Amino acid sequence: MNRNNFLPHVALALVLILVAAFAGQIRRWQTQWRHHVRIMPAADKRHEPINSLEAAPYETHVFSAPEVLVKFKTGVTEDAISTITQRLHDRVDDEIESVPGLDAIDDLDDANAESVAAEYRALPQVEYAEAVFEISADDAPVTPRDPRFAEQWALFNDGSRGGIKGADISAMHAWHVTTGSDNVVVAVLDSGVDYTHSDLASNIWVRPANVNPYEDKELGTIQDVQGYNAVENNADPMDDNGHGTHCAGIIGAEGGNDIGIAGVNWKVQIMPLKFMNAGGYGTTKDAVEAINYVIDRKKAGVNVRVISASWGSTQKSRALEDVIRKAYEADILFVAASGNATTNNDRTPHYPSSYNVPNVVSVAALDRNDQLASFSNYGVKSVAIAAPGVDILSTWLGDEYEEKSGTSMATPVVAGVAALIVAENPKISVDELRKKLLASVDPLASLKGKIVTGGRINAAKAVGAN
Amino acid sequence: MTKEEAIEKAKRDLATRLGIDESQVAEQSVSDADFPDMALGAAASGEMSGQMITKGWKIQLDGSGTTYEYRADKTQLRLFKFKGKNYKI
Repeated sequence: MNRNNFLPHVALALVLILVAAFAGQIRRWQTQWRHHVRIMPAADKRHEPINSLEAAPYETHVFSAPEVLVKFKTGVTEDAISTITQRLHDRVDDEIESVPGLDAIDDLDDANAESVAAEYRALPQVEYAEAVFEISADDAPVTPRDPRFAEQWALFNDGSRGGIKGADISAMHAWHVTTGSDNVVVAVLDSGVDYTHSDLASNIWVRPANVNPYEDKELGTIQDVQGYNAVENNADPMDDNGHGTHCAGIIGAEGGNDIGIAGVNWKVQIMPLKFMNAGGYGTTKDAVEAINYVIDRKKAGVNVRVISASWGSTQKSRALEDVIRKAYEADILFVAASGNATTNNDRTPHYPSSYNVPNVVSVAALDRNDQLASFSNYGVKSVAIAAPGVDILSTWLGDEYEEKSGTSMATPVVAGVAALIVAENPKISVDELRKKLLASVDPLASLKGKIVTGGRINAAKAVGAN
Repeated sequence: MTKEEAIEKAKRDLATRLGIDESQVAEQSVSDADFPDMALGAAASGEMSGQMITKGWKIQLDGSGTTYEYRADKTQLRLFKFKGKNYKI
């Protein structure tokens, strides 16, 4: 080499090295771009995440560069595959070890995935080739991060503990559409509610500042903050039994909060009402007073749309029937337990579930095998719908959780689904709401000829989920 | 209330109702039971109760040649269908 040409040659070499390095970086950038991760809030755009935890299930959709999945025939070597991919200006992005010969292939020209797949399908070495397609979360069930969710067979029955897989209310599919709304108020007319329970506290109704305290001409002014106690006629509906707290948790234990369980509604406003005492029983008079309170609050502007009534007896009260009819006129649904006497309510009515008032929905109980619970009342004319009601895990006094059985437990499942419907259809009338509930069942052979709809409530159908 | 306390209370109640001495009330059987509701399947007049299966004790007592049934759990004692009516004791 001529010494005089040395420096220009060195400079030229350096330029070439730099160009090559820059080109390599561009290729890496391209690769990284194609491997980008898309955060897909694939949920219905109407659904606003309640919190970061709720949003999390939607954030797992990775859509990376490989355009095709190609299965090479048995006997085609790695070298042969490498030769083919190089010839087509592609590269093997990943070998799928569990299926010999199956490779994810990245087309370096970023050609149309279907065209690339067609190219491979035309090769004699290829068994099949298919374009990679995106799986969105649109139809995917939503799993809450509540640690005891796996025990809530009513919401998701995986077939464990002797149950039948799928014998549930399809809550996880419903939640894709809505997990509830804190604009919807559900009155839990019961033994009160432990409003301090850590899985309920954030979903307890609080009287808004623009709603006046409850006033009753005879009973006086009640400075109601979060419900009403008709037993003692005061503003403290704290539960001293557990039954009401259990029912409240089924309707609306906060979902996705890393605590305990999920309610049918992750977010809702539960209005605690106490008319039953520490023993779990109460008088018709106090029940009437409590319903009167609910109607008053509705008229005062509180959006209470559902009363959940997990109680009853065979004694008929005309006064109770009248006040439930007034609730109907106030556009409030009344969901009631059909009773646990294993009797036919068509012959032996159980009240309030047997009142012939248009807002009453009578609920039977099912076990985890989609069978009518051994204790449940029924009635092809008088019991409307069925829901899970055996070994139901829910909130209990002392920040605890317990499994309980009864049409008491089936009732808040249906009340909860009603609240989901209202969350999606805020203007729905009580008549339409009842009709929609009854139209949202999975027919069961075990219920044919036993109850009006012959089916188990399906929350996904109720909210129009796929 | 324990099971034993419920039995003693039931004996006293039955003796009073029948107008006999407590010693003339005999314990026929006591067994654990699942009652259909929180009034132990024995709601008194004007009562409504939670429709939850409730664990308790079925206490059968003999007095004046007849068997009577009491139902109890840790919070309550009830007389079931005494002359056709239920009573909360």
